[in-house]
Amino acid sequence: MRRGLIARSLVELPDAVFDARLDRVRAAMQAARFDALVIYTNNTRPAGVSWLAGFVPYWSEAVLVVPRERGPYLVAALSFRVKSWIERVSRLADVLHTPRVGLEAAQQIAATRADAAVGVVDFDGLPAGIAEDLREGGPALTFHDASALFALLRAVADPAEIALASRAADIGHRALSAAQGETLNDKIAGVESKARELGAEEIYIAAAPDLERDTRFRRIEGEAALAKAFALRATVAYKGTWIRLVRSVCDTAITQEAAARFAQAVALLPSDRGFTGFRSWLVEGCRIAQPLDPLIGSRLGEGRPPLPGALVAVQAALAVDGQTVLLGAPALIGRPGEASSLIADPLYD
Amino acid sequence: MGPDSGNSWTPRANANGWYNRAMLAEERRQRLVAAMREAGIGHMVVYGNAWQGDYLRYGAGFAILEGHGIALIAADGEVELFLDSATDAERAELEAPQVKVHLAPDIARAVGGRLDRVANAHIAAAPRRFLPRWLTDATHNFKLDDATAMVDRLLMHKSGGEIAAVRRAAQIADEAYVEFLRAVRPDRRQYEIIADIEAYLRRKGCPDNFMIIGSGGKDVFGMTPPSERRIAAGDLVTTELTPAVEGYFAQICRTLVVGKATEAQRRAFAVFVEALEAGIAAVRPGVRAADVAKAENEVFRKYGLGEYTTSQWTRVRGHGMGMFADSKPHILEDVDTVLEPGMTLIVHPNTYHPEAGYIVLGDAIVVTEDGAEVLCKTPRQLFEVAV
Repeated sequence: MRRGLIARSLVELPDAVFDARLDRVRAAMQAARFDALVIYTNNTRPAGVSWLAGFVPYWSEAVLVVPRERGPYLVAALSFRVKSWIERVSRLADVLHTPRVGLEAAQQIAATRADAAVGVVDFDGLPAGIAEDLREGGPALTFHDASALFALLRAVADPAEIALASRAADIGHRALSAAQGETLNDKIAGVESKARELGAEEIYIAAAPDLERDTRFRRIEGEAALAKAFALRATVAYKGTWIRLVRSVCDTAITQEAAARFAQAVALLPSDRGFTGFRSWLVEGCRIAQPLDPLIGSRLGEGRPPLPGALVAVQAALAVDGQTVLLGAPALIGRPGEASSLIADPLYD
Repeated sequence: MGPDSGNSWTPRANANGWYNRAMLAEERRQRLVAAMREAGIGHMVVYGNAWQGDYLRYGAGFAILEGHGIALIAADGEVELFLDSATDAERAELEAPQVKVHLAPDIARAVGGRLDRVANAHIAAAPRRFLPRWLTDATHNFKLDDATAMVDRLLMHKSGGEIAAVRRAAQIADEAYVEFLRAVRPDRRQYEIIADIEAYLRRKGCPDNFMIIGSGGKDVFGMTPPSERRIAAGDLVTTELTPAVEGYFAQICRTLVVGKATEAQRRAFAVFVEALEAGIAAVRPGVRAADVAKAENEVFRKYGLGEYTTSQWTRVRGHGMGMFADSKPHILEDVDTVLEPGMTLIVHPNTYHPEAGYIVLGDAIVVTEDGAEVLCKTPRQLFEVAV
């Protein structure tokens, strides 16, 4: 339940960025004949609302209402006392406060048009209590799943989002470089401290403390012994954009060869053929509201291939000369006729 | 070694104060299964995410970070855990080896498919209001009753092992506040201060913490996540610091002044000390959460500050602590939950004071057989840090 710096930057996210996104959403709403769009947010699924309004909850829940004809407003369960903070860190026409955000949102929409057609993003996954309150607050409203409509727009990164991902990757690199000290917890503390000093909104750190025994990542709670070959993963959020970086600490020549094979495989995405021979691989990205949804990978069957222009997080495990190396970095999926590309070097220093 | 009945079971900590996670998880699972049997529930559907992860961790022993998690717990004790994050699913295989983990990108339908196979059993859910809407849709073969209150009772009433973890978390909160006093210096930004504290907690092996901060004067009305604001001489700096040990949170609230406190600040702070002491003195088995809130608020009313105990200025006068940083019962004058031994709470009369600004002061406590044991040891003083 941690969060770091939550702040709006008018340089990195000027009004025009949100205006352009809203214009595209409104055009899609018009085509679908929606009078309003409702997007839910909490700690675990902030990426729909943050994309349109910059708001990232540190706690509690809210819904963003995007009417077709006016500015978006937030209905938040956070108390009125943090209204000025929400307004500082977001771009919103208004903020309303109530414990029952679904009820209030529906009442607001119905006040304009009692039988409005309302698109609900991730309707199936909406918390049941919110869905029930939407129905209670607007008995004549009609609710429609707007997930596909929204995903087509949200899943493709715009230049501002790519720039934020690059900044997040830079934070991740510098943080992982600060993994100093004798114990694993000392190293993790170094990563945590540096990432937050650099303005990370959040950082999740996981470790594979002994690559010879187990290459799976876990969160370190308490103490853990550290082997000679280990890996750290930094999942960094910066201004609503999430990336993952994975660093394996083992033989340099081996990691360099692994990185080259990894980059080659990434270049072929969304085709999976570059990952042939890898022990495992995973591509994650934002489809709707969860920052890093699993898209395709060795455990995912058919999966949901990323769209051209999507920003993704790629992780892989591969063996080089008998040594397993874990790698991970953000990448951009190429448009038709283009190769995909990492947007950060999985190696550094 | 395993849990026995009631609160008598206390797992052993290692030399650094960490408890055996697997034993705590097993104890919780057994308590949940016993409660299910008593209620005639065949299967429980327990939901969690990074914000509201306590129900899921209680039932499945997994601390979710990304996506949604739903555990299906059978009355025979078998636990299946569905996760829609591939990264968290991998983590769960390592961190919760006692459960069967399913990676399910479409989690509602995956769980629904599984529930179809037990549709004839009495199935209940907690917290039902957070479940994906699709699962609670009336068109399915299965019906999900709401068992949130049953799990809430388990979450509120801690075993000896759980209290030991909260006690250790409170000790770390005390130590972290010493770090906080070192970290606050003029010209530092709020988020740089938080960076120091989170790094300190990581060195201690604490991966989870809930922390908000406020700094400034009478223009500050509460606490938020850290901002870019720089600390200035004369600031009141407030924080709520809530580290977790093995998933159990303990909170401390303190206020400091950058420089020398003014007479008005000291006068104001004295009201909060009196209110906190009154609130803690009111804690004992059999009293209601409302009685504790009333004891705190009466102090404010006595000084003509009753207005500042309302929801316009403050949220709660304390709350439960455990697997969630802000759990039930909320300490408010309209909450009738009766306090019982084994409950862990924070009593905090945090609010705005018109002569000084927003002030916080709160201690973690555990309800004992005859009153309250205060877990936080940090002095209840208005700290001053050098300019």
